Amino acid sequence: MEFKLEAHRIVSISLGKIYNSRVQRGGIKLHKNLLVSLVLRSARQVYLSDPCPGLYLAGHPGAPAPPQQPEESAAGPPAGWGEPPPPAGRAAWPEPEPQPERPAVPEVLRAGDSEPAATVTAAGDTLQGGEAEAPEAAWRRVEGPRETAVGGAGGPAEVSGVFPEGPEAARGPCGCPPGDEDKLSAAPRVDGCRASRPAAAEPPASPPVCARKRGAGWVGGGPADCPAPGSTPLKKPRRNSEEQPGGAAAAAEEEEEEEEMETGNVANLISIFGSSFSGLLRKSPGGGREEAEGEESGPEAAEPGQICCDKPVLRDINPWSTAIVAF
Amino acid sequence: CGRPGHALLSLSPHPTADIISTVEFNHTGELLATGDKGGRVVIFQREPESKTAPHSQGEYDVYSTFQSHEPEFDYLKSLEIEEKINKIKWLPQQNAAHSLLSTNDKTIKLWKITERDKRPEGYNLKDEEGKLKDLSTVTSLQVPVLKPMDLMVEVSPRRVFANGHTYHINSISVNSDCETYMSADDLRINLWHLAITDRSFNIVDIKPANMEDLTEVITASEFHPHHCNLFVYSSSKGSLRLCDMRAAALCDKHSKLFEEPEDPSNRSFFSEIISSVSDVKFSHSGRYMLTRDYLTVKVWDLNMEARPIETYQVHDYLRSKLCSLYENDCIFDKFECAWNGSDSVIMTGAYNNFFRMFDRNTKRDVTLEASRESSKPRAVLKPRRVCVGGKRRRDDISVDSLDFTKKILHTAWHPAENIIAIAATNNLYIFQDKVNSDMH
Repeated sequence: MEFKLEAHRIVSISLGKIYNSRVQRGGIKLHKNLLVSLVLRSARQVYLSDPCPGLYLAGHPGAPAPPQQPEESAAGPPAGWGEPPPPAGRAAWPEPEPQPERPAVPEVLRAGDSEPAATVTAAGDTLQGGEAEAPEAAWRRVEGPRETAVGGAGGPAEVSGVFPEGPEAARGPCGCPPGDEDKLSAAPRVDGCRASRPAAAEPPASPPVCARKRGAGWVGGGPADCPAPGSTPLKKPRRNSEEQPGGAAAAAEEEEEEEEMETGNVANLISIFGSSFSGLLRKSPGGGREEAEGEESGPEAAEPGQICCDKPVLRDINPWSTAIVAF
Repeated sequence: CGRPGHALLSLSPHPTADIISTVEFNHTGELLATGDKGGRVVIFQREPESKTAPHSQGEYDVYSTFQSHEPEFDYLKSLEIEEKINKIKWLPQQNAAHSLLSTNDKTIKLWKITERDKRPEGYNLKDEEGKLKDLSTVTSLQVPVLKPMDLMVEVSPRRVFANGHTYHINSISVNSDCETYMSADDLRINLWHLAITDRSFNIVDIKPANMEDLTEVITASEFHPHHCNLFVYSSSKGSLRLCDMRAAALCDKHSKLFEEPEDPSNRSFFSEIISSVSDVKFSHSGRYMLTRDYLTVKVWDLNMEARPIETYQVHDYLRSKLCSLYENDCIFDKFECAWNGSDSVIMTGAYNNFFRMFDRNTKRDVTLEASRESSKPRAVLKPRRVCVGGKRRRDDISVDSLDFTKKILHTAWHPAENIIAIAATNNLYIFQDKVNSDMH
């Protein structure tokens, strides 16, 4: 039990460091962030392996409490953030899930909560090694879109394992298989998704705008409304983190509330962040750029210094989810 | 060793910019260069010992100050590039001028330092201020002569090696061939020719095809002091790789891998962090390597890859405090290490402005403090002790009262004499062992 608490504490400290590294002068320090991610991974392993399943059940009834509103609000910001992880990342994980971790978020929402929940449970078991099903599923249901989005940005197949059916369920509404969103060749489908996304998203205009930008990025260069780094160099004073949206700045304010969260939520949070913070690693100075050129150039291209989320939107979000959004 | 002598301090009004970030003696020890967070380089010169002023025997005074790097902004990546000087390395002196390489995170510069102590006087066409003379006033011709003037030290940037690195440069090292040098960032090492700035050779690349697979980064690197084809680089996983440039153009495959198996009883959340090597230095002999990780310094024999031949605990009392040190970021501090000229004593810094010396022969070690109170001229440095419970002596410091903001990350040892330079935040201390001034 003590290990769990200490692990929890270390996880939140680590997240804080990863966040702060992005506003540090001189850019993201790859070495330090790598070490922090290793600590995060160790803490997560301890946390997950510590046999105290009762903790989840006890703490959990309150977990699904976060209302739909913030959940859907969160859908917006995540939609505008991050780039889809490369397929190779998924392969690194035991989950045989072939689907990409980057489903269209609003589609997941619209598909309804019940659908992902059932499948999530199964996946959750696989991932979490037998922890309490119901609370996990319930939590995931609530946090689903945000998780997925984060997974898309920084966590590979682990998140995709969480929602093996989610993306498929989401496929219905707009008819675009999320898997193809990763690939530049899926231009028409991406456009389709893009069009539907603004309709789905409830929050103010900025998230859909973000979605558009990201979609634009995915087709490799995209329309002019999405400034790519090569075309329009943006001077952002002190914006050292090229990858994370400015909305994360607001997330930092909420992050301090992490400590107050029930521990029941931590398991899922850890599984998202602990798997790797590959998103950050990929986005290290220049490293992210190089890969962007080689792979999906768009999403990263759309990144530097752009504020994709209005601060007021983020402020309404459950602090946990805000932290997820940030990462 | 005996008793260190006096100290030289430098203070300044701007606290952050003046934090010293690197210290380096030149090959004779006559010059000492320091770099700071504000991108400035200050060079100290040792005054020749003179009989007329015996008290200032061999003191170091400021020789030159110049702005090496300025903050830059990379518009393409929306990244600010810090002007902090990460490393300075002197080139071996080949003529009257001195040259050094200084680097920040992205750009290396070659500076030439020259002295001017004479100036020509008696021009025919120009007057003393340099204005053209009225020719009608020139009635005779004279040969201009060189007259002594106050010493002027001129520094000029001779080369700028830019755009070679995507990641942050952590080390530079001049090859013993005096023609090439290498620069290392987190994932790559480049080989440069000192005269060519528009291209470099990439000799090590550990960047994985998929950055999600990244598990280790390069933390330090150095050329062998005598074999121009050999160099070593250390990693965040605690391993050292010795590479031979004759073996292949890209030295991703090491010739030797030096790695100590992890002690499973010491495993913690922070095992990986504390095993990351923060500095690696070849001995002057070229036979050994010295590495520093968070809690220890280790001596490695180039002929033995399995484990270090000596391990010294710098501040093992911190092992139980790793979680707090992780919280306040101290666990990421990168301490440097140094050999003395005869490779018999090694030195490294610690917290509370303490620094440690280990005598490899006698196996004795000492903890000293670089502070104003204990460093009046002629003062004898008193050994300090950190008490970890048990018997506590009068002047002992308890672990909990250590000041972790006072860290000695950068130290340097004169190549031939018992003179050490200690950088304590924005102060530079120079200690000279007057009693035992020669190496033993």
